[in-house]
Amino acid sequence: MMIAALNLLAMLVLGAWLAATFDRMAPALWGGRARGPLAALADGAAMLTRPATGTEKPDAMLRIGAPLLYLVLAAVGLAVVPIGPAGALIESPVGIVIWGSCEALIVIAVFMHGWAPNSPFPLIGAYRYAAIALPVMLPSMFVLIAAAIPAESLSVTAIVESQREVWNVVRQPLGLPLFVLVGLTLTLRGPMDYADGLDLAGGTSAEQGGRGRALWQMARLAMLVAFSGMAAAVFLGGPLGPVLPGPVWLWLKTALIMAVVVVLGQAVGRTPPANMLKLLWVFGLPISFLHLVAAGALALW
Amino acid sequence: MRRFRTVSVVVFIIYLAAALVLALMFRAAGYWRADTAPQAAPFLGGGTARTHAWQRFHFRAYTMTLVFIAFEMEMMFMYPWAVVFVEEGVKAMAEMGMFLAILSIGILYGWREGIFAWE
Amino acid sequence: MGVNLVSLARRAPVSVYPCIGPEMLPAVEALWQARGIRLSATPRDAEILLVAGEIPDDARPALDRVHDQVPPPRAVHHWAGDGDPHDALVALRDRLARGEGLSPDRQPDEPPNEWRGKGDNGQGGKGMMGGVPYGRPMAMTDDDLRDGLALDAYSAQFGPFAPMLPPGLVLDLTLQGDVIVKAAVAAPPFPQPPEASRPAACAARLLRLLGLDGPAARVAAGRSPNAFFAVRAVPAGLGAAAPGADIRSRLRGWLADEPGTYQAPDPAQMLPGLEWHEAVLTLASYTPDALRLACLAAAEGRAA
Repeated sequence: MMIAALNLLAMLVLGAWLAATFDRMAPALWGGRARGPLAALADGAAMLTRPATGTEKPDAMLRIGAPLLYLVLAAVGLAVVPIGPAGALIESPVGIVIWGSCEALIVIAVFMHGWAPNSPFPLIGAYRYAAIALPVMLPSMFVLIAAAIPAESLSVTAIVESQREVWNVVRQPLGLPLFVLVGLTLTLRGPMDYADGLDLAGGTSAEQGGRGRALWQMARLAMLVAFSGMAAAVFLGGPLGPVLPGPVWLWLKTALIMAVVVVLGQAVGRTPPANMLKLLWVFGLPISFLHLVAAGALALW
Repeated sequence: MRRFRTVSVVVFIIYLAAALVLALMFRAAGYWRADTAPQAAPFLGGGTARTHAWQRFHFRAYTMTLVFIAFEMEMMFMYPWAVVFVEEGVKAMAEMGMFLAILSIGILYGWREGIFAWE
Repeated sequence: MGVNLVSLARRAPVSVYPCIGPEMLPAVEALWQARGIRLSATPRDAEILLVAGEIPDDARPALDRVHDQVPPPRAVHHWAGDGDPHDALVALRDRLARGEGLSPDRQPDEPPNEWRGKGDNGQGGKGMMGGVPYGRPMAMTDDDLRDGLALDAYSAQFGPFAPMLPPGLVLDLTLQGDVIVKAAVAAPPFPQPPEASRPAACAARLLRLLGLDGPAARVAAGRSPNAFFAVRAVPAGLGAAAPGADIRSRLRGWLADEPGTYQAPDPAQMLPGLEWHEAVLTLASYTPDALRLACLAAAEGRAA
């Protein structure tokens, strides 16, 4: 268990750094400048040393509570992912349900972050995000349940075990794309960044500076690591793989998913929320249904 | 099972404790103190606000959330269903298919009534 | 450890909040690609306020408000748009770190209203609402444009230096939730040079509002955006000045490097009923020239 705990801490801290570096390297895909690994640390240090002010009558408890809740949810979500033959830090027969509850509470954390400053832009960002993130929870649960069907269990370790012959990304092809869409929403990136977009001057982070902003960005990156770990376990077989030890495979697959999410976050346009709501319910949900039916039919065949 | 419970409780407590420690550190550093009124004014690009931002916000997607709750409850049933699906076979598939079909009629009705528009 | 953090922070780009004055939009938009400078979306995340150009007198109070919202210790850099401000900004940041060059608050330290009302915190008055708790009244209910629910209406003036609006445009908006129900133009956008109305610049501006920074940089340099869902992200039929002339068709035209000849309608007529993101996209879908002409024409029409 000590190993699992240390691995979790290392994964969150180093993974967050890696994700931040990917963020700063991705502009090179569009001819911009790619900044090196130290750039992420420099930006973090700059944010930590910058001062910040409060706002008129903010909700002080939520102001500090929101980024901390976000961080704790990332840690709990990652803790159910098995890192090797030893299993996960939280070895649970219902790991999928724990992850689902973390996802649902993220909506609350982001809403709290937007409500706390008592300012119009963050408030609009908070409500907008709630309206979009709630429907996104549905495809998330559909794809995870579809992955649980061949494993006959809700435990992430069992799902990893069920991928010994073939990975879920191969036998349930729609699963990973839908789950990546969920990941973009959970980490407030790109096409699903309704909480922190430029059209709201930074949205829920519009009144946030200095150390509070650094904490929120760190929580977002930690959540990206947690999501990628979960996606790697459920769709890419997690710690399974030849030659290299389990944890190394998990790290490599997590890094791959992180890179995919970062690039998609910078490459896909964000449509107005009313349109996105319609797209989620009219296309996203039926596609998830079909995915579940196909997964069920395959499992019975 | 008891070992799992102990482990997870311990883990949760450690996470929350870490979060509380961080929170106290921030408060101790005198953080988020608004020094003066002009510094604390809400950011409007140089404009002025007339009221507090906290309000009875018109959350236009509230009709959508009712349908969302219905699907969320369906999700609750799907959790144990997924575990016994392979055992139960086609019967389980048919039952969940009926459940989903009934809820889909709900979505179609809602779509016609315009709940997916930003009313 | 503290010293190491500060020296590490020195390697980061200088974070500035740009206040764009007349004739300065192309110069400031070029800073998106500048090395060592990061344009921040909010003054709270900035260390230096970059005042570009000569701000007219009626926008000075707004500039003071934004200035005071940059967390102290802060500094101001006036830039005339020529050359690369990077070295000057880095030097200013170093002076700030030493404690020199600080810019104090420009406005007096008074709450917006004297706290009055029946309660201890300034609250009280009409039943449960009313009074001036903590210095500002609470929003009261008003009828809604789209459905019959009468919830709170939030009124504010969204100012000349908002990052998502054309620089100089001051809008008096009443929002119900995130939908604009009443709009009035308090001041037209600042005049901008013809380079700001080039198709590539306009397309880049719109792409940035869609969250596509990298593709926007490519478009500003005259290349194809290489993004998914860039044009189709704008819903069809949004911002239709005339049938077939919606935001999507204007964006397509700009990406194909055709300037188009679109006359902008009066924002006070076109904004009510639009949700915030849609409204921002609609304003950005007209060239700065066209929008300024429309605001001036509408103001003249009202004065006549």
